[in-house]
Amino acid sequence: MTLQRPLRHYLEAYAFLGLLVAAAIFFSVWPETGETFTSAANLRTLVSSNSVIAIVALAALVPLVCYEFDLSVGAIAGLSAVFVATALAGGTPVPLAIALGVGLGLGVGCVNALLITRIGVNAVIATLGVSIILAGVVNQKTGGISVTGDIPLGFSEFGSSNWLGVPKIAFVLALIALAVYYLLEHTPYGRYLYAFGSNREAARLVGIRTKLTLGIAFAISGALCGAAGVLQVARAGSADPKVGETFTLPALAAAFLSAAAIKPGRYNVAGTLVAIFFLAVLNNGLNLAGSPEYVSNYVNGVALIVGVGLAVRLGRRQEV
Amino acid sequence: MRHGLDSQPGRDGSVIVLQAEHVSKAFGATQALDDVSLELRRGSVHALLGGNGSGKSTLIKAIAGVEPADAGAIAIRGERHDLRTMTPARAREAGLHFVHQQRSTFPDLTVTENLAIGRGFETGVGGRIEWRRARQRAAAVLERFQIDADPDTELGRLGPATQTMVAIARALQDQDGERDGVLLLDEPTASLPAPEVALLLDALRRYAEAGQAIVYVTHRLEEVFAIADRATLLRDGRVVGDVEPRRLDHDGLVELMMGRSVAQIERLRGRPEGRTILTVRGLAAGPLAPLDLDLREGEIVGVAGLTGSGRSTLLKALFGVIPPESGEIRIDGRPRRIGSPPEAMAAGFAYVPEDRQRDAAFPALSVAENLSMTVVPDYWHRGALNRRRERRDALGLFDTFLIAAESDAAPLRSLSGGNQQKVVLARWLRRNPRLLLLDQPTQGVDVGARAEIYELIHDAVAGGAAALLASSDFEELARLCDRVLVLRKGELVAELRDGELDADRIAREANAKVAA
Repeated sequence: MTLQRPLRHYLEAYAFLGLLVAAAIFFSVWPETGETFTSAANLRTLVSSNSVIAIVALAALVPLVCYEFDLSVGAIAGLSAVFVATALAGGTPVPLAIALGVGLGLGVGCVNALLITRIGVNAVIATLGVSIILAGVVNQKTGGISVTGDIPLGFSEFGSSNWLGVPKIAFVLALIALAVYYLLEHTPYGRYLYAFGSNREAARLVGIRTKLTLGIAFAISGALCGAAGVLQVARAGSADPKVGETFTLPALAAAFLSAAAIKPGRYNVAGTLVAIFFLAVLNNGLNLAGSPEYVSNYVNGVALIVGVGLAVRLGRRQEV
Repeated sequence: MRHGLDSQPGRDGSVIVLQAEHVSKAFGATQALDDVSLELRRGSVHALLGGNGSGKSTLIKAIAGVEPADAGAIAIRGERHDLRTMTPARAREAGLHFVHQQRSTFPDLTVTENLAIGRGFETGVGGRIEWRRARQRAAAVLERFQIDADPDTELGRLGPATQTMVAIARALQDQDGERDGVLLLDEPTASLPAPEVALLLDALRRYAEAGQAIVYVTHRLEEVFAIADRATLLRDGRVVGDVEPRRLDHDGLVELMMGRSVAQIERLRGRPEGRTILTVRGLAAGPLAPLDLDLREGEIVGVAGLTGSGRSTLLKALFGVIPPESGEIRIDGRPRRIGSPPEAMAAGFAYVPEDRQRDAAFPALSVAENLSMTVVPDYWHRGALNRRRERRDALGLFDTFLIAAESDAAPLRSLSGGNQQKVVLARWLRRNPRLLLLDQPTQGVDVGARAEIYELIHDAVAGGAAALLASSDFEELARLCDRVLVLRKGELVAELRDGELDADRIAREANAKVAA
């Protein structure tokens, strides 16, 4: 409380980023993990696998700015991955397959949007129901077996190769993150999303078309998840029917945690990226140290609760 | 009772039941309370007065233990309690009862359930609620407090004053001795229409006469004159007066409260009549029966009526919030369809809703963002929002609309109520609207800010707009409007102008029983 205002502000904004850096430094110098953690191969895997989750998290972020949850983000990414892999294995040209993945995501996103804005189903219920249905679709399509087949070499090479020493997938993430940042912070639409999230009735009464605003948010979310599915295929060279589900929780957690970083009290793009990579570094380091798998469950759960608790406190303190 | 009453006799023979001493509290750099002391006598109503942000609510919260103070203590029943370590439980034990500003009752639950919540239901074997006993107890409480309600009614179906009375009854129901309990009410009348206020004030008066000591926070000076035996005036967290309101007049009290005399704004009567801006024929919506209305340039027209009379509905229907069932709207003589807020805005309408927190404020967004929300596309330039221009304009609006805020980047909720209201008003007036639809624009706003808001409305109208002003404050309507339409149960029952325009006349028209 005695801290000067600007200093406190910086602490609130960058504490989380500091934690990320601290965790990275810790695992680099800790003898147990140092050598492996800092190896180029490990860092590249860490970056590229989490780039896909980060895109799913950005997808979840857009409706979350409106205080609405999209629980179908992982399922949509999984659906897109399975269909794209099947199409590629069947000889579909790469651009068409990419369009298919993104289009599928957009389509499901539009279905979410219609359910929520037209029929008035609660967003949690609507997206949960849709995600369960999608799990069924994926299962029917694959019989529960990974889609491997002949993925064109150029495509999977893009997913596993580097540019300037950094996985190419990370560049795609950077582009998408920039686009979402631009959308949220530099367009009237983004402003309306934040207004909607702060007070939807007031938003309606200042002339914002609230249903359209919310609907578009879910459509964008779907399209981004579709893109994440495409990248997952490029990265893995195949599509595991179970991979989508594993994205949902870390992605939502990171989107939530974003309110504790960079712009305290406000869900934001940079905060989402910090959160994703903080959790990734932590899990990766513990993994290398040979800690059993359940430890990462504890770490992820605690990080989510502490982070969101902090964000709530930060938001509340500004009320005074 | 814990032990015998230990309080000292007060100067004028009555007994002091509560003493607050040297209470201080700072929020960051702001000193919200600065060495505030207060004495409360048994059987008296003690008003706590002050402008927005003067520290009234902070003091109540400190005494309640909701927001610990930095220094200070209270003495009650001969015991001292340090306010730095006060807790709600301890306050309750000491015999303090609170009805806070935020709604604390449950409109969907019955009166019985509302009375039992916080106190506990009477339960039988296995924790089963014994509804019959709970209901009997509720009936007894209602009778004791002379509340005209059935224990089985859902609270939300009762009038707002009755709801507040139930909240008070709930706070007081278990008081062991009626003699030394203390009731603290934080703005109980803020959202009540005038006739309901009278109902509540009567009840408070009765409770006081029965020996209850009441601390009463309000903005409304008329109420102070009506019921308060004493008043403590706060300004910027300091006590600036401890007075007997009966010995002062309205202006004297305002002057003490604001630290400057507030020039009452005179109505600009007899202005040349401008062109007709708005013509409404046969507009019907919700409770509102078909209504005709003409508004001219430079005119402020009041809409008076009780809750449910259709005054808010009229404004909402004109702004496209509620779809009208029938009717025609013409603007500058041309017919126009208003089916949604964006269409209303395109027609040059502006709408300040009745409930700021619910319908107008974006509490988490910055003041600048709140100000620009009606004009966001104007800042869309070469593919990006021009934030620099947005902030510069916001600072300009601070000057024009007398908004006191630490910075344009501060979240709206950090502003006082009056300043938030000015932000909402500024958001609309910056569009230079042709028609202002204002629903209770000065609700919960202190006297100083109120005068400033009146001035802003006047300036806007003088620039060629027209205003339709709905209010339950008939004094305000009489002072501010050129003419006043009175609605009763959705019907337009009177149009008062010039000589007929006074608060009593408006109240009579609004209240008159509908002939069977």
